[in-house]
Amino acid sequence: MRGRAGRRKAAAWLLVLPSLLLALAVLLYPFWEILRLSVSDVSRFGQVRGFVGLANFARVFADPVFRAALLRTLVWTGAVVGGTVLVSAGVALVLRQDFVGRGLARVLVMLPWSISLSMAAIVWLWAFDGDHGMVNTTLRTLGLLHGNVQWMARPATAFPVEIGAGILVSVPFTTTILLGGLSSIPGEIYEAASIDGATRLQSFRHLTLPLLRGFVNIAIVLNVIYVFNSFPIIWVMTQGGPDNGTHILVTYLYEVAFRLGRPGPAAAVSLVMLAIVFAATLLYVRLQRERA
Amino acid sequence: MTVRRLIGRSLLSWAALSPLLLLVLFPFAVMLSTALKPIDEVLAWPPRWLPQRLAWRNFADMWTAADFGTAALNSLGISIAATLLALAVAVPAAYAVARLDLPGRDLYRQFLLVTQMLSPVLLVLGLFRMAASVPFGGGTLVDTRTGVVLIYAAFNIAFAVWMLASYFATIPRDLEEAAWIDGCTRAGAVLRIFLPLAAPAIAVTAIVTFVAAWNEFTVALTLLRDPAKLTLTLRVVNLVAGRYSVQWNQVMAATLLATLPVAVIFTLLQRYLVQGLTLGAVK
Amino acid sequence: MRVRAMVAAGLVLLGSAAARAETVRVTAAYYSDKTGPYFEQMAQQFHAQNPGIDIRIEVVNWDNLLQKLQTDIAGGTNADISIIGTRWLLDFVKDGQAEALDGYMDQAFRDRFIGTFLAPGQIGGKTFGLPIAASARALFYNKSLFAKAGIGAPPATWDELRQDAVKLKAQGIAGFGLQGKAIETDVYWYYALWTYGGDVVRDGHAAFESDAGVAALNMYKGLIDAGLTEDGPTNYSREDLQNLFKQGRVAMVITAPFLINQIAAEAPGLEYGIAPVPKQARNATYAVTDSVVLFKNSKVKQAAWKFLDFLFTRGPRVTFNRNEGFLPTTKAAAADPYFTTNARLQTFVDLLPDAHFAPTVTGWEDTAKAVSDAVQAVYVGQMPPAAALKQAAAIANEALGK
Repeated sequence: MRGRAGRRKAAAWLLVLPSLLLALAVLLYPFWEILRLSVSDVSRFGQVRGFVGLANFARVFADPVFRAALLRTLVWTGAVVGGTVLVSAGVALVLRQDFVGRGLARVLVMLPWSISLSMAAIVWLWAFDGDHGMVNTTLRTLGLLHGNVQWMARPATAFPVEIGAGILVSVPFTTTILLGGLSSIPGEIYEAASIDGATRLQSFRHLTLPLLRGFVNIAIVLNVIYVFNSFPIIWVMTQGGPDNGTHILVTYLYEVAFRLGRPGPAAAVSLVMLAIVFAATLLYVRLQRERA
Repeated sequence: MTVRRLIGRSLLSWAALSPLLLLVLFPFAVMLSTALKPIDEVLAWPPRWLPQRLAWRNFADMWTAADFGTAALNSLGISIAATLLALAVAVPAAYAVARLDLPGRDLYRQFLLVTQMLSPVLLVLGLFRMAASVPFGGGTLVDTRTGVVLIYAAFNIAFAVWMLASYFATIPRDLEEAAWIDGCTRAGAVLRIFLPLAAPAIAVTAIVTFVAAWNEFTVALTLLRDPAKLTLTLRVVNLVAGRYSVQWNQVMAATLLATLPVAVIFTLLQRYLVQGLTLGAVK
Repeated sequence: MRVRAMVAAGLVLLGSAAARAETVRVTAAYYSDKTGPYFEQMAQQFHAQNPGIDIRIEVVNWDNLLQKLQTDIAGGTNADISIIGTRWLLDFVKDGQAEALDGYMDQAFRDRFIGTFLAPGQIGGKTFGLPIAASARALFYNKSLFAKAGIGAPPATWDELRQDAVKLKAQGIAGFGLQGKAIETDVYWYYALWTYGGDVVRDGHAAFESDAGVAALNMYKGLIDAGLTEDGPTNYSREDLQNLFKQGRVAMVITAPFLINQIAAEAPGLEYGIAPVPKQARNATYAVTDSVVLFKNSKVKQAAWKFLDFLFTRGPRVTFNRNEGFLPTTKAAAADPYFTTNARLQTFVDLLPDAHFAPTVTGWEDTAKAVSDAVQAVYVGQMPPAAALKQAAAIANEALGK
């Protein structure tokens, strides 16, 4: 009997093994490389000149651009994920009801998913072009604007635009998850509740929200990971500028690695980022478990 | 429910969605408008939405400038291969996680969560070095579509296993067990009973993986060299990045055309997508 | 038995490798949509003359070039020859990536080049890069807009430029196109810095935070504040400015000769002239070369050199310069009627004696970035010029000479 159980366990592992091997093969070596580079003096072209301990980390943390980018990354992640979840929750609640043209509405809401992030960023960059862009043109036509706004010329206007673009491209995936969550709630519960005299608001608060929480959590965790690491939108639209005013960690990382040619400090930034995501995810998962 | 209430609710729903829908459709309108303008109208002042003359030739020009056909085939090939590979390793793994007695299941799940956190941008230097150190077909994995496929598949395993495992867990065991009683082997039961039931989740996972691969930029940029192997996203971004002058009408024609196939897939499969994610997300 | 079969197979492979043509891989930077076809054509012509050598061309956008080179070299998969920005050359040399070319060159080959352009590719007395592309900068001005505002001649000094811009503004025209975004944002300010008598780097230290630097930056900021530039300079890259100029929406812009080709193709009706960069204390312009380097780890150096030799003969050079609108780097190309009869290009050539090149020092990229950030901060009004430059100088000094 034990032999059979052992064999079963072995068989289970056999099924898991290919996925494990592929993931390890592709991810382990690069990860090891990043670790190694982060504590080395590395030339632009990857020659390792020696061990420097934590000097790369010290150098990174001493850079005011890094510290500003760190803070801005929190704002970016918070604003994009928060905005996305709020918008998506509203959209999912609407899309869940039966109404004329719901199929079409769902298709339209999903549409941004079909554009790659880099292409979406290119289109938005063009749309927000100060001279030829359709955003200015439309606002002028509506009488909301006189003259042109040079949206990308200042961080104060560029960064909010980027956040907006970030929210827009994240909504479809999130809405899909939440919609899934909503439709998994059986309709009978609401009937029972309304028989018991619950108002719609009450049944929303006491039925929908708690049942939806698991899905919201998943949406938040996945979005935090995606958005925190999201590179194309900001890179394509402003490359972290003007005056470093729109850098988040991942664009800063890219600039340090490939524009300034400093693989060592870049690797240090990678590790810092990884530590942040890791800690945030663990914390969130734990918090949710405690509450549940 | 009365017809009147339905109409009222429909109007209300559309009204509630309209701000978002405007924002969603706006970039598509921009793409279409610019893609159909001749260059002098693109840069004309003041800009207008409607082209005075329709410049269909933008599409032809762009097709040559970006070598669109080749790039589209590359993207298609790479995305399909990456999707199949990801599914081939993720389906058995998800089955084991959901159904079998897997020692260290939590450990494996945590490992997956960690891989989910690694984004290609973070690892791009290391990924390149790895590809350069693997001998392949007389060279290395650098500048091969195979290298790109392997990396895409690896980065999508976590999401795929998570999706599939949670969906698999919702398929009643009795159906499979009934088949064993009917004399089916375990493998036979999986093939004949289980997999058909799991088809929606597998389809959704496939779509998500496919789209992620189709849209990916950084890895392709780093690994691919030969113009004949470049993907669509690379080609389109190349039309803009670091050029002395940008032909916006061609760029918009290219983004429009590159977006269309995926948009069609989404339109056709949207219903299943919601269903699949629905069940998948329940853990 | 198996061993023997393997050895035999190995020998066959070796044999076929020896009989096969040598392949030289070339990474070329994208200058325009003519670049790719040009290099393909050169590869074919060269192959026709040298059937034993295949040339494989890869064209890369400037935005991605440095990243590609870095990753390629780190992974050992780089091409044999590459075009690079000359400002990166020192990094390549210090890391031992670039081959010194003096052993391949004879005096006759050296003599092909215009001396000014050969110098930036030389480090420590050795030649590591050959000037494949060269440009200088001058002031393009729109003659029709000038006429409309009643201005007769292009401005010779910055004061005149300001007065002209005021007249243009009265006609509702943005006078001076000021670049404030993307690559070369710093350079656009060096034009003023140099003409005010300042320097970017002197003796391996940042020198741009001098009085001349502050005065030059104040002058630009004054133009912005008085509304004499386009609206929101930090929104405009060099390409954006050129577009504005082509559309007649800005009257003056400082840029490279390749704008001539673009205007001819996209706005043939535009009436414009070219004048030196306005002066203050002295005349100055920026000259820049791109270099072609041979990598040390190339296994086909002789074949690669042969291709370089071919690229720097008269025919290929003239075609390249004419396609891309660059200045000639070889004497033979400069003597071609295309240049000698082209007054506009001659304006640029005449500026060369006053030209400044980007210095070959380590940390130049960091310096350029620090200066770009500083002038952006000033343009958007976030920092006063003196403080911004001082801060940038501190950052630059950290990186310079490391």
